[in-house]
Amino acid sequence: MQQLKLIAAVAAVFLAGQAQAQSTIKIGVVTPLTGTYAGIGQQVKWGIDLAVKEINDKGGILGRKVEAIYEDEEANPNVAVQKAEKLFQVSKVDFLTGTVNSGSTLAVGQVAERNNRLASTTVSYSDAITGDKCSPNMFRVNAKAGMQSEALAEWLVKQKPGGTVYFLGPDYEMGRSTVAAFKDAATKRGLKTVGETFAPLDNKDYSPYFGQIRAAKPQVFYTSVAGNDTVRLLTQMSEFGLTKGMIIVGAAGTITAQNLAAVGKAAEGFVTGVGYTMEIDTPANKKFVGDFKAMWKTDPDLFAVDSYGVVYFYKTAAEKAGSTDTDKVRTAMRGLEWQTPQGKKTMRAGDHQAILDMYAVKIQGGKFKIADKVSGAASVGPDTCTKF
Amino acid sequence: MTELIESFQFVYGPQMANGLAIGVAVVLMALGLTIIFGLLDVINMAHGEFYALGAYLGLTLVAKGVSFWVCLALVPLIMAAIGYATERALIQRVFHSGDRHTLTLLLTFGLAIIAEDAFRLVYGPNPYKPDAPISGASELLGVMLPNYRLFLIVAGAAIILAVWLVVYRTSLGAMVRASAFDRNMASSLGVPVDKVYAGTFAFGVALAGLSGVLLAPIYSVFPTMGKDFILLAFSVVIVGGMGSIKGAVIAGLVLTQIQSISSLFISPVWSEPLVFGIMVLFLMVRPQGLAGRLGNG
Repeated sequence: MQQLKLIAAVAAVFLAGQAQAQSTIKIGVVTPLTGTYAGIGQQVKWGIDLAVKEINDKGGILGRKVEAIYEDEEANPNVAVQKAEKLFQVSKVDFLTGTVNSGSTLAVGQVAERNNRLASTTVSYSDAITGDKCSPNMFRVNAKAGMQSEALAEWLVKQKPGGTVYFLGPDYEMGRSTVAAFKDAATKRGLKTVGETFAPLDNKDYSPYFGQIRAAKPQVFYTSVAGNDTVRLLTQMSEFGLTKGMIIVGAAGTITAQNLAAVGKAAEGFVTGVGYTMEIDTPANKKFVGDFKAMWKTDPDLFAVDSYGVVYFYKTAAEKAGSTDTDKVRTAMRGLEWQTPQGKKTMRAGDHQAILDMYAVKIQGGKFKIADKVSGAASVGPDTCTKF
Repeated sequence: MTELIESFQFVYGPQMANGLAIGVAVVLMALGLTIIFGLLDVINMAHGEFYALGAYLGLTLVAKGVSFWVCLALVPLIMAAIGYATERALIQRVFHSGDRHTLTLLLTFGLAIIAEDAFRLVYGPNPYKPDAPISGASELLGVMLPNYRLFLIVAGAAIILAVWLVVYRTSLGAMVRASAFDRNMASSLGVPVDKVYAGTFAFGVALAGLSGVLLAPIYSVFPTMGKDFILLAFSVVIVGGMGSIKGAVIAGLVLTQIQSISSLFISPVWSEPLVFGIMVLFLMVRPQGLAGRLGNG
């Protein structure tokens, strides 16, 4: 009798475990937890963990608990592919997210297609992901590179209609493509180009280019340098008295928390286009920032908020579909509207690019302040995806 | 005519003035390198990291309330002590082996890697930008130049002159040159060659540290800053003649002017290959450089 009870108890525990496993919705997260991009991967994880905790506290998705399973992709597309395959095949995840560099996102999109499962990036900027390399299984909930320059140009043309712009970028693929994208957005809005310079990456001294900039007499100066190059460029320009009366704008990565202190006073007045800032004054954002700080003892950034939002994106879609079936969820995701700390986002059906409000942010008193809000419709640009 | 004046005022004038300030910075870096090479026959791959260490020391001292001007004297003294210790403790050990060039090159290269990571551990990966102790900009003949860069040109010229005087016009300098010319003969005439070697290495390191303090307000301070000037400084040493002070000054000023002016006509990315091309040309056609070695002029 005693033995029978034991067997029954074991069986009960076993069955409960089985039922638990069947009912859990698994979200696979392939993100860099080591290496250069580990800082970004960390924010991705923090954002997702917070959302998963909130959702589970309120009863989960479709009455099922949610579980996030992490794999380190080391910001390497080859590793990302293996880890994504493992998550789909072994862990049987329902949805995949987390990839940071655009190469990993594109590669993981193909893995998702082969496994007939859905995935979304929350970080990658490359326009191609929802452009000419779009995939019916890949979504993007964050702003793409083009949206940042469109938002910035939209703000700029209000300040200086028909103004003259000088461009300075680092001479490599990313530097040239960001300059080209902004130039395109600016020219379309009637701004004029008066000169451009591509300086080597890790340039020491920018003063050899100041003569040309001075001679061109631009009203606006655009740059897409990053890291320590920004420190040198902007402080040297300010020492040469070049920034007086000029509007200085740049790419989203030009001034970050890492180099803001070093750029110091020379950063004052710098404007860029972003998809998120902690300054957004809405109850939803204040709650998010407060909860995030309480849980992780640090500030959330763009990557954390977009990754937090992707879990709600999946939740809203699965609940609308009433199922976790790939085809039903995909249909629900197309055109889906859902709430995030950044405000309402809409997933465009034609290319799987989220439409979200963008912000022109300006550095004032050493902090990014919102200078203007640019509607998602004005910054998202045309749908160029032809694959579905 | 007005077009010509304007193109000078806006384009060539500032370009040459800026080139001069960069040139002085490069010569300061090359000076220590060329002296160490000329005398010790050691290629100091860690020279850039000594420059970075000087900048970080200056940063730390200024943060502790020491005035920038005091740092200009204090940092070279500390750096000289570090240089002396490095020479006696490390370089001396491999100096007398048969494969001196390879071993000292690898040793200093290893030091450079350790130093770079040590900066990252102690000060973090983010850059620092000390404020220039002299602010504002002045206009000379219509050319705008920040006052601190004017100071750099003047101070750099004074330092170069002082180094030249020490090496060529003092008995200390005579001992250095004698040791460089013929180590055994100098030793038998009573010159304490080992101490002269260590002292010269310390002097070169102190110069690197001084450059670090002087240039930090212009170029900012970060772990990999040692790599910034080192390639250009090596080119200057090769073109100028390894061990020659005069050669380093001429080569430094000419090469940076070439780089500065050429970036007006060709893509800036190509102005560095141009300078390195000149270096390669010199190695092929005139390997001894513009001037000879330290002992010779």
